[in-house]
Amino acid sequence: MASEPIIQIQNVHKVYRTIRGTVHALRGVSLNVTPGEVVVVVGPSGSGKSTMLRCINRLETIDGGSIIVDGIPLTNAANINKVRTEVGMVFQSFNLFPDRTALGNIVLAQQVVRKRKKSDAMAKAHELLAKVGIPEKADAYPAQLSGGQQQRVAIARALAMDPKIMLFDEPTSALDPEMIKEVLDVMLQLAREGMTMVVVSHEMGFARAAADRAVFMDEGRIIEEGTPDVIFSTPLHERTQLFLSKIL
Amino acid sequence: MSDERSQPDQPPLSIPGLPEEQIPSRRLWDRVIDRTASLPWWAIILGTVAVVVLYSMFTSVAYQRAIRFLIDDPQLSTEDKFEVVQVVGEPRTITGRYLGTTTDTTETVINLFSWRIVIPRYLKTIDDQIHTVDTPRLPNPIVLIETETGTVEIPEAQIDWMEPADPEVGSEITASYIERITITGTMTEQDDDTMTIRTVDEEQETFATSRILSRESTTLLCDRAANPDCQDREVVTIQRQGEIIEGRIIDPGRTNTYFVTPNLAQSPRVNIELPDGTRREFRRGDLDYLAIPHLVVVMNAARMAEPVQPGGEVRIGFIEGTDITAALEQLDAAEGVPTPLRYTEGEARTVLVAYPDSASALEATSAGDVSGLIFVDDGPSAEFTNEVETWLDNNPDAGLAEPVVYECVDNCQAIAKLPDDEITGAVVEETDDQITIRTVEAEYTVIDKDKIVDDRSKKPGECALNNPRGCDAGIFLTLRVTFSAYALALLIGLFVGLMRVARNPILYAISTLYVEVIRGIPLLVILLYAGFVVSPWLRDNTFLKPDDTSEAVLGLAFGYGAFVAEIFRAGIQSISRGQMEAARSLGMSYPQAMRYVVLPQAVRVVLPPLGNDFIAMLKDSALISVLALPDLLQLGRLYISRTFRAFEGYNTVAILYLLMTLFLSLLVRTIERRTRLPR
Repeated sequence: MASEPIIQIQNVHKVYRTIRGTVHALRGVSLNVTPGEVVVVVGPSGSGKSTMLRCINRLETIDGGSIIVDGIPLTNAANINKVRTEVGMVFQSFNLFPDRTALGNIVLAQQVVRKRKKSDAMAKAHELLAKVGIPEKADAYPAQLSGGQQQRVAIARALAMDPKIMLFDEPTSALDPEMIKEVLDVMLQLAREGMTMVVVSHEMGFARAAADRAVFMDEGRIIEEGTPDVIFSTPLHERTQLFLSKIL
Repeated sequence: MSDERSQPDQPPLSIPGLPEEQIPSRRLWDRVIDRTASLPWWAIILGTVAVVVLYSMFTSVAYQRAIRFLIDDPQLSTEDKFEVVQVVGEPRTITGRYLGTTTDTTETVINLFSWRIVIPRYLKTIDDQIHTVDTPRLPNPIVLIETETGTVEIPEAQIDWMEPADPEVGSEITASYIERITITGTMTEQDDDTMTIRTVDEEQETFATSRILSRESTTLLCDRAANPDCQDREVVTIQRQGEIIEGRIIDPGRTNTYFVTPNLAQSPRVNIELPDGTRREFRRGDLDYLAIPHLVVVMNAARMAEPVQPGGEVRIGFIEGTDITAALEQLDAAEGVPTPLRYTEGEARTVLVAYPDSASALEATSAGDVSGLIFVDDGPSAEFTNEVETWLDNNPDAGLAEPVVYECVDNCQAIAKLPDDEITGAVVEETDDQITIRTVEAEYTVIDKDKIVDDRSKKPGECALNNPRGCDAGIFLTLRVTFSAYALALLIGLFVGLMRVARNPILYAISTLYVEVIRGIPLLVILLYAGFVVSPWLRDNTFLKPDDTSEAVLGLAFGYGAFVAEIFRAGIQSISRGQMEAARSLGMSYPQAMRYVVLPQAVRVVLPPLGNDFIAMLKDSALISVLALPDLLQLGRLYISRTFRAFEGYNTVAILYLLMTLFLSLLVRTIERRTRLPR
């Protein structure tokens, strides 16, 4: 495993300016992720975890500091599509394309961005649907799928681009409890295969089983980081203890 | 969207303990109502409209004519219609000073105090006093050559060659041209070398010989030098008495519909039913006179309010020779008749007393022999009325009430007379009762097929099944303008809508300006701008030469583009931001994400409002009639101004618009249903 970090976040600041005033969402966040590492980010709502994740593939621009992904600095717009093809993202609300079938969702970006032939893209899509465990739903539209199935299609869609890094933004928060497991199983499998993953999630079970590192964030800062066992069982910081006492 | 389904037929009625035969079967009418109620709303409307339209079309000639007119009077075939361009005579050569080429020889004359300035429009000229004007190349340019005998205008198309080919204005040129004429008509016969075309159709008129007031005969000598086979023609000129129409008045045409200056268009129309049941309509201004009989009633003042005992006797005087039955009927229908005259048989016996003349009748009434007198006056003469008034003036102590005139309004006999006129033509047939006169002779032109240089027979021609290109007025123009304007509006709307959601502040500002400005101006004003400001400017300053239809299309498209843009913008913004983020996170660029992810979804969202806009535009296309385009409404108004049938005309216009919009809303619903995502 290479020791050179694949994601380097250095002292990043992010300020939202709204009509009501400014919100300082990230206040000097620094985080390095090495290839193959699985990082779980936890923290109360509004702590900046999603913002950090969205900054990594530049869905949000940053107001200070620097982010380097796979050796490419996210400073100008020209690099951005190159970075994004290497970084897959899974959203809390799935964001599947409702007018395309599961297969169509997975095929589209392969053809448009990777310029793959239709037959290759289809083969890849079928393979990934089998991997996430729903090969029979290839021709179903998103509205015809359950939440868990939709999220698995979304993961397959991101994987179809052969990303080096996968970002998960609370992938199970919008799901019924019984569907959470099927999604986590897929993520666990990905982690075992050595995918670099940054996961915003409160699933302790997943974190303990798959994560190499857990990060606790609050008020735009990283308060504490360490192995999941340490963070979840014997946190050092008072704020972390308070938070964990509420969710456990 | 509501989802009507036709409900299953109601199950047959069953009442326990009652044998089925005794249950009354549902009547046909109930079943019809049940079936109708289960239909979707549009089917009911469409069905009703179809019934009304078909009924009207099959029963009324007026509607048939109106519909024919509004759909550009389609013919079955244009096969015998001809329009050919033929060369005449030999090529001619002319030498002179080249004055220029123009497309418009209209002169504008300006009277400035006592100076008179004549400006030939678009004429490029070397005359020192007149400025050179750039010549736009409109169709059919004309070359002007100044010769010793004057300026000759030769259509450029007729010129065979010019020397030099590209002359300077003011230089000497020699041009050879051969004259061409256009012949339009119906082909009657043809052989290998020639064809005969009837350019003028024959017209005949038949009328009763009793209407002839005087006739004169003249012989037209024929030009034997030009045509050795021709024969002299005898032509009669007949002074005719205007037709006299006797019949029942259906509608006298109220005089209060006159405006301050009664012109023919506002003249009330008289509707008369002839004895054979047919009806004829006249403008009052067209008639010499219209005689509607009316009653003059004179009462003995003392008897006027005197009660008449049931079973008693009422004596009514009249003048011998009057149609007293008709008069009494008319009296019965009139309002405000004095009491004694109202008594009819049964309540009081009515005794009619005849008098030889009005004077004795009035005297008898004055003496109390009869309760009242009935005179029948004959329309315009008002003879009796005057007579009675004179008698009353001379006998102030007669004890008679002022005469009251009861005019017949509806359903009474009337005589109308059309003005006398003159007719000229050849006598075709003459019997004791009737005479037929050919007023217009058919004219034929024989064309040498070798001399035809251009056959335009089917190109501009008339609207016909084998020539749909000729159908360019009425409903066809409305449809064509609507479809092309909407296609353009969609294009404008899509681009402006995309600019409205763009991050680029310049694009956003331009598109917002366009949308706000256009939406704030009435469509009618935009159309007038397109027709009278923008397109003249384009014609003068650019190579674009928009015709009238393009002006309308441009105006409608720009006016509607703003609304369509807003629909697109709303549609794009209705797609959640997550869709764009998901597409971007997969590595798509902004245009790719728009093209493959957002727009396909947005189009589904905007389809119903776009369909509504399309229907709205079809209706608003009626506004293009202000650009003098012969669209459905304009033709409707033309039809009405020719026939004065406003009711039928506007009804037909409305029904045709309604049929089109109903059909379109059906189409929009079908497309909407087809593109709906499965759930």
